[in-house]
Amino acid sequence: MHYFALLLGPEPSGEPDAAAAAQIMAAYQDFHTAAGSAIRAGDALGPAADAVRITGGPATPTVTDGPFAEGAEVAGGYYVFEADNLDDALEIARQIPACAHGGVEVWPMVGWEAPTRQVRNDWLALLLEPPEKVCTPTTEQWESGVCAHTAFGEAAGEHILAGAPLHPPSMATTVRVRDGKAIFTDGPYAEGSEVANGFYLLRAADRDEAVALASMIPASAVELHQLTGISEL
Amino acid sequence: MSNLDGVFRSEWGPAVAAIARWSGDLDIAEDAVQEAFADALRTWPRDGMPERPGAWLVRAARNRALDRMRRESGRTERERTAAYEDGVARMERTDVYPVRDDELRMMFTCAHPALEPASQLALTLRLISGLTVAEIARALLQSEAAVGQRITRAKSKVRGANIPLRVPPADRLAERLPHVLACIYSVFTEGYWSTAGPSAIRDDLCDEGVRLAGELCMLMPDSPDAQALTALVLLHDSRRATRVDACGALVPLDEQDRSRWNRIRIEQGLARLRNAQGAAGAYLPQAVIAAVHATAPRWEETDWTLICRAYDRLIAIADSPMGRANRAVAIGFRDGFPAGLRALDDIGDEARLARSPTVAAIRADLLRRMGRRDEAAQWYRTALGLGGSAPAQAFIRRRLAECLG
Repeated sequence: MHYFALLLGPEPSGEPDAAAAAQIMAAYQDFHTAAGSAIRAGDALGPAADAVRITGGPATPTVTDGPFAEGAEVAGGYYVFEADNLDDALEIARQIPACAHGGVEVWPMVGWEAPTRQVRNDWLALLLEPPEKVCTPTTEQWESGVCAHTAFGEAAGEHILAGAPLHPPSMATTVRVRDGKAIFTDGPYAEGSEVANGFYLLRAADRDEAVALASMIPASAVELHQLTGISEL
Repeated sequence: MSNLDGVFRSEWGPAVAAIARWSGDLDIAEDAVQEAFADALRTWPRDGMPERPGAWLVRAARNRALDRMRRESGRTERERTAAYEDGVARMERTDVYPVRDDELRMMFTCAHPALEPASQLALTLRLISGLTVAEIARALLQSEAAVGQRITRAKSKVRGANIPLRVPPADRLAERLPHVLACIYSVFTEGYWSTAGPSAIRDDLCDEGVRLAGELCMLMPDSPDAQALTALVLLHDSRRATRVDACGALVPLDEQDRSRWNRIRIEQGLARLRNAQGAAGAYLPQAVIAAVHATAPRWEETDWTLICRAYDRLIAIADSPMGRANRAVAIGFRDGFPAGLRALDDIGDEARLARSPTVAAIRADLLRRMGRRDEAAQWYRTALGLGGSAPAQAFIRRRLAECLG
């Protein structure tokens, strides 16, 4: 089964110096070496200040440019893992360097088709919903959501590299590592007003096109981040 | 059939664990065993209890589960038949009688760290102990709807997020075992420390906590921490009958009638304690403290040196303001109450301590024993203002009256 890992943490203040950046890169390379066979996709996201937030849905999209609320945790990266069960997925997730200063949300995915094209400096559209609006697979509500996403899929066509819905937040687990000890908690990272509910990897010629595409996504809110392309996964 | 209840109590957990392993689904397992028990209730009084009731229940539950899986597969007739035959084949490969490993697997799954502790507790009480949702709700003083929802959500997480039904691999055992121990301990403490609700329910939870701890020792004979936990619950439990009086008021340790302490529980607890050498967790020093109290012939003969040493060990393993506050009391009895008061002051102005009615009551108690009754009364009043359970408050009021009288 596939799991989506969302890396969250405090927004780094200022540019990290070269040595620190190299150290972080090395930590991630070690992680990729260790967990390589289970990683199906993943990358670091561009600075949160460059992210875009779209609310209001496809009919009346409102686009807000970052930076957003100060002090809030920001998404810094994502992975898709293939693992036999949650234990194995958590075993991988806890090795992600981001666990040590922030946390990693591990979400079971509802299906996953690997992108057929190499993902590079593309875009991650993170679909957000208030927890009470999240619906459960196989319900009627879910089916109507599937229709809306099928329509988006037809409209966006080749721009969609991959994407998947996530199971409801009650199935998410958050991993933090403090003093070398893994701490698991039931549910998403923060008791926030919104939770991740799905994602798309989008290909666009430029930022404007990415925003236009993300604005068509049927979701309460979409957070659009450019991938850095550094993971080369 | 008077021992039906006993059979159900002891066979429920193993049966659910066996069907869960076989079907891979907690929901199916729970419902199937429930139905098998209903079958038993119908047929056993008429036909007599089978020679091996556990095996009978597992077989009946497996048939029920098979029916359901066949019914619900939602596939074409041909696929349904294939699924059924696959089920039958799997059933034939599996032992009819549940193996003990199933239960251990179940304990680790119910106490999985990806589930909230409150969900771990509810799931354990439902799937391993066999309490109904209504019984759990009454025991935990929560609404039935809330408990039902919690259990449903936990089961759907196990299924949806694919939490495996297994004992974790050896290299993760040390990390996962504390969750199982904590879950079993909370079954016991919910019964033992919970001061609200009818006492019969509290007794049920205490009994179940003791039973589960004993089961765990049997399933993991090489775990000193399981032994330490079991020693702790047995030694606490030996005082169950004397810690409240006939009116339900709390009786402090120094006023308890030691002749009414349960000698069998104490002996069992001490035996477990002897097997707990090498335990790394916080249960061992706590069990040592409980054992010192349990073996002191009179309050005045309590070995406070040993108790202080155990508190030192406890704080080294798991430092907490509450642990330090309790150690201050022990120091007070070992070195004199002024020393205890100094130890309490040394903890500092930890915010959590300032808000704790227990710590205020500890300070008041030390002052009272020193004869500083006015100051004691003041601290008892502070404790009352900070809340706490009704019986604890009633006890403090009694002390306050003594200081004023």
